[in-house]
Amino acid sequence: MNRINFERFFETEKQKIFGTDFFADAEDYEAWDEIDFESQEDIPGEQTFEVKAEDLKYYAAGVLDDNPFMTDEEYARNSPYGGLIPHPVFLTQITFWCIGVKGRGNWIRTPGARNPGQEVEIYEPFRVGEIIHIKMRPHDRWIKRKKYYLNYKIDFYNQDNVKKACWIVELVLPKSKEDIRKFIKGIRGVEV
Amino acid sequence: MEKVTFDSVQVGQALPSLSHTVSQETFWKNAVASFDYNPVHCDPEWVATAQPFGIPQTVAHGMMTMSFMVSVAANWAFPAMLKITRMQSKFVRPVPAGTTVTCTGVISEKHVISPGKNFVVLELKAENQNNEILGLCKTTVVFPD
Repeated sequence: MNRINFERFFETEKQKIFGTDFFADAEDYEAWDEIDFESQEDIPGEQTFEVKAEDLKYYAAGVLDDNPFMTDEEYARNSPYGGLIPHPVFLTQITFWCIGVKGRGNWIRTPGARNPGQEVEIYEPFRVGEIIHIKMRPHDRWIKRKKYYLNYKIDFYNQDNVKKACWIVELVLPKSKEDIRKFIKGIRGVEV
Repeated sequence: MEKVTFDSVQVGQALPSLSHTVSQETFWKNAVASFDYNPVHCDPEWVATAQPFGIPQTVAHGMMTMSFMVSVAANWAFPAMLKITRMQSKFVRPVPAGTTVTCTGVISEKHVISPGKNFVVLELKAENQNNEILGLCKTTVVFPD
């Protein structure tokens, strides 16, 4: 995927250092049939996420939303919110950042994965300056109409351990590492 | 700030809709915004053969379609200081480049609990230019007083 020039879109610090090639480490992604449900201990993310105004503004722009509470720092500062508030689906950016590449939960990067739907709860909006960390655990795995579903429950906390949000992140995945390898080669590894 | 009170809203009330026509550029920019660089959204050459959705085209991020739908709720709720607390989405059809996505919303439930805890449920819907459903999202909006 290095043939695609994403750099022309980059505006934030994080964007300049986050890897764009989801094939590069795909051999290390957890496959559907490899997930360990025995241990229900919380799994930390690979890294924390410092919320910056540029992150909130870019997410809104990326979903074509020009709501000034999300995009205009001065307007938001002078509103009852006192500063920018995130698009409610902004936690997508936090999640991919925090899970990273090598750690548990990296199946969300799997080539060939499909998104059937999501469930999110927000307790408090993320605010600029917060340092967010995640704790996750395998939640459910099932087969339906020959499709392999997996979800993790991810909790989001700030630096004071205030729980900000919860996401049951769910995908339909290739069943096995061998199926992922097919996808990497450009061969369909699942039934549609 | 726009004043919207719990007493003033009604079940069946429609919210202002929005429309976006998406392109490969839209998918790339959303990948950068979300850090989701999955090739099914970003790599037209790969998807021509891999076809996870059974079509030889890249498709929009589900989270982008969900964001479009939730924007209908946010654009109504945020100016009135209402809180979006829950979102449950379901994606029905893939969204290839060239699709015009129109998102609508209606207040489907009004939960009378107590001041500060009263909430409504919005049923949000994304449709393409052929009026086929692309995605659905139930969203809870809490009234602060």
